[in-house]
Amino acid sequence: MTPALALAQQSAAVEVGSGSNAFLEGLVAALGAYLPMWALWLGAAVTGVAIVMGLISLIAMFSVWLERKVAGHIQCRYGPMYVGWHGWLQSIADGVKLLLKEDMIPRDADRVLFMLAPALVLAAIVAAMAAYPLAPGVFFADIDLGVFFVIAMSSMTTIGVVMAGWASNSKWTVFGAMREAAQVVAYEIPLGVALLVPVMVAGTLNMREASEMQSGWYGMGWFMFKNPFMLPAFVLYFIAALAETKRAPFDLPEAESELVAGFMTEYSGIRWSFFFMEEYAAMFLMSALAAVFFLGGFESPLTWAAGEFFGRELFVKGASGATELNLQAIPYHAVAGLTLLVKSFAGIFLMMWLRWTLPRVRVDQVMTMGYKYLTPLALVCAIGAALWEAGKQALLG
Amino acid sequence: MDFQGILDRLVAIRAPGLVKADEPRKPDPKDKKDKGRAGDPFVIVEPALLASFVEACRDDDRLHFEQLVDLTATDPSKDSADLWINVQLLSLKFRHRLAIKALLPKSAAKLPSLVPVYRASQWHERECAEMFGIVFEGHPDPRNILLPDDWVGSPLRKDYEFPKEYHGISCE
Amino acid sequence: MANEVTKTMPPSTRLRQTDVGEVTVDIRTPDLEINFGPQHPATHGVMRVLMRTDGELVTGAQPHLGYLHRCAEKIGENVEWLQYLPYTDRYDYLASMNNNLGYSLAVEALLGVEIPRRATLIRIICAELNRIGSHLVAFGTYGLDIGAFTPFLYCFREREWMMALFEKICGARLTYSYIRIGGVFNDAPPGWFEEVARFCDVFEQKWPEYVDLLLVNQIYVKRTANVGVISREMALDFGLTGTMVRGSGIDWDLRRDMPYMCYGEIWRDGAFKIPVAKGEMGALGDCWDRSWVRVMEMMESIKIVRWCLDHMVDGPVIGELPKTLKVPAGEAYVGIENPRGELGHYVVSDGGKVSVRTRVRGPSFCNLAVLEDILPGALVGDAIAIIGSTDIVVGETDR
Repeated sequence: MTPALALAQQSAAVEVGSGSNAFLEGLVAALGAYLPMWALWLGAAVTGVAIVMGLISLIAMFSVWLERKVAGHIQCRYGPMYVGWHGWLQSIADGVKLLLKEDMIPRDADRVLFMLAPALVLAAIVAAMAAYPLAPGVFFADIDLGVFFVIAMSSMTTIGVVMAGWASNSKWTVFGAMREAAQVVAYEIPLGVALLVPVMVAGTLNMREASEMQSGWYGMGWFMFKNPFMLPAFVLYFIAALAETKRAPFDLPEAESELVAGFMTEYSGIRWSFFFMEEYAAMFLMSALAAVFFLGGFESPLTWAAGEFFGRELFVKGASGATELNLQAIPYHAVAGLTLLVKSFAGIFLMMWLRWTLPRVRVDQVMTMGYKYLTPLALVCAIGAALWEAGKQALLG
Repeated sequence: MDFQGILDRLVAIRAPGLVKADEPRKPDPKDKKDKGRAGDPFVIVEPALLASFVEACRDDDRLHFEQLVDLTATDPSKDSADLWINVQLLSLKFRHRLAIKALLPKSAAKLPSLVPVYRASQWHERECAEMFGIVFEGHPDPRNILLPDDWVGSPLRKDYEFPKEYHGISCE
Repeated sequence: MANEVTKTMPPSTRLRQTDVGEVTVDIRTPDLEINFGPQHPATHGVMRVLMRTDGELVTGAQPHLGYLHRCAEKIGENVEWLQYLPYTDRYDYLASMNNNLGYSLAVEALLGVEIPRRATLIRIICAELNRIGSHLVAFGTYGLDIGAFTPFLYCFREREWMMALFEKICGARLTYSYIRIGGVFNDAPPGWFEEVARFCDVFEQKWPEYVDLLLVNQIYVKRTANVGVISREMALDFGLTGTMVRGSGIDWDLRRDMPYMCYGEIWRDGAFKIPVAKGEMGALGDCWDRSWVRVMEMMESIKIVRWCLDHMVDGPVIGELPKTLKVPAGEAYVGIENPRGELGHYVVSDGGKVSVRTRVRGPSFCNLAVLEDILPGALVGDAIAIIGSTDIVVGETDR
């Protein structure tokens, strides 16, 4: 593999399971005679980023609509109803509105940091999104350290948030930024330790591989059922993920009744919507991680049936020895991709449900909960799971 | 206790500054000008001794006025030489009220603050001070409360003249 | 009292009462002065509190009022007695019926007129329905302050019906001017009492929702218990009234203890109780106790409304009064139990068409004075909870 290919694999492009980059290979085959290699590489990378960005925007738009509908129905009202069927175009209308809004920067703000902060936040989440597998055979980057990469990248957003809070030059935004920093530091630990439990069971950090390992029991061989410490670990992970994504009841950095809008108080228009997109993309990623590492990822009885019926290999070696697209397996991959999407959105729905039900906890209670309860409990879970696995291996060989 | 009982008790404990009681009465049929007086009975108190008077009311076992409900002032008319200070005391234990009135000369609108006795009077006194130009001596925080800090005049006095403009904004 | 400790301790070893005991805050950052309001979602209007904070810890607070001052008392000296009534709607705009009632009773005390029995009962029904509506807003928006959005809309669902009832009886939804001097403006439309009875039935079914969803919610309890504790002595000293004083464990309600209209009769019938906080979730007089009192009072109001519906009589609803009212000379102070506390009207007449003095003792104004003392030592999040628990309406603090 050329260095360029290896790089492209790390950044973004549709890739074949074996480790070669199908999209780039296709480009090389089609245009290799006319364009230099670096141009093709750049084209593949830009396409990949564009696809991730588009995906994030779509997810954010759908999530915003979903949130408004969920909130509405929880609160005895309908939510958006006028723009399209049950308001499904509302997010687009809002997006257009946000694009057209005046982009305001406070006079005394630190202009450079103020403008950089939303971009940094979005860049971090786009990078994290690259590890999300679309389907068993379709993904942007097959990163061996997948979980690690996602968590690292999504914590990068904190830097953007702190930057935004500081650069706005307002006391309320600084409060929001301070809370965000403290909260993320406190909840990173239980989040990581809780994820360690399924990672230990799986023996891999790669999201695609972890998902594949759960295909037993007719698609119900989820990690959730493989270890008694998995359920508490899942609950801990979910609580920590709520705090990590600044969702109620841990929405202290943007607590609207306390800090107006926290770190985003001074933002407007498209910059503000970047923060918004980040929030929903982070929710999605956290739910996707939960789905992959606890709830079977792509696997469900339906996926299993589709796999049995249509075949699982998307790329097969053709008669001539070249890699060929196996059109027959496409339904299986579609079902698998949809399964993960549904599972991820189920997680998002749960987050929304909690948000519209629970009051907000206080800042010292957040810290107490993170350091005094979640972290020790997560450690207990991790140790227990490790002992269980070791015992299982010792007993069953 | 009814008003007469409270009055008797006030006299009995020699409440400082008590001048007299004023009770509502029917119009005198002989005197056509006399319209009588409606409403509640109240006691009239020396303004300089108002603070000690309410303190005595608060500390007495049988009056037991734990709460100062209201403190306000009244400018009865343009020609009147006095302002009234109106205080409402309430006893939760004995379920009775006492209305107190102190006649404060407009020329020397000063009296000791009631805050050491009832902290409830803190904001009421600030309001009175800005609205009537009364000075409460010993008030811990004598700033304006409802009006801007630079407001000129005492709006609730009957001789108050409305300003023509405020910070360049015409009020006509 | 945590506050006393906070004040007397040197700043570097300030103590804070938390759920897990006392925590020494010995990391000092430079004091930060922040402006809480006048435009802030949790000030319930346009109030401003200047807060000095040490990180998240509030070390000093100074409320600044007057942003909504509309010279209600000055207007009272310039308009006729009857004309002033619509202005009373506007100080506590969440309990306009009660404000109308307070002013009417004060003027009637000078006039010495007899109020028809039917008018009295309709007045009580309206005042109690309005109390329910006001407490619904207080409780709902308090949930909003704590961060729970949904209970707020559940509360508004019932309040909407209450406002529709008022719309049917007087045509207005917020500023009613329905209770007039001498009685009420007009008789209830046909079927109105039946609808009120239906409202009572439905409300009784919905009421447990608020309790389950918010009042006993663990996060809500954690946020409000032991926060903003007002002791008995403090409550008396600051002249707190209404829910604030009952939240501090003092058994006091003007409807029972100094009855006006026919509340005394209703009390003797045993139709309602006075909920008094017992400090169930934490210290007596904390934010939770105050919200508990409000929630419980709603049900008592329903019982009072039921009693009035059962004892309704036929007859006129307004006494005979001249068009231009001349009030006998004299002065009267009438305090009534508003949703927020004692609303006092002190009116002075010289026998003319216009009052000499119309003093409004707004309960929010007096209840708010306690802020300066209970805010220091709280966290910024607590400060919002405390301000919300005083249940102020800025229209009334500023008048």
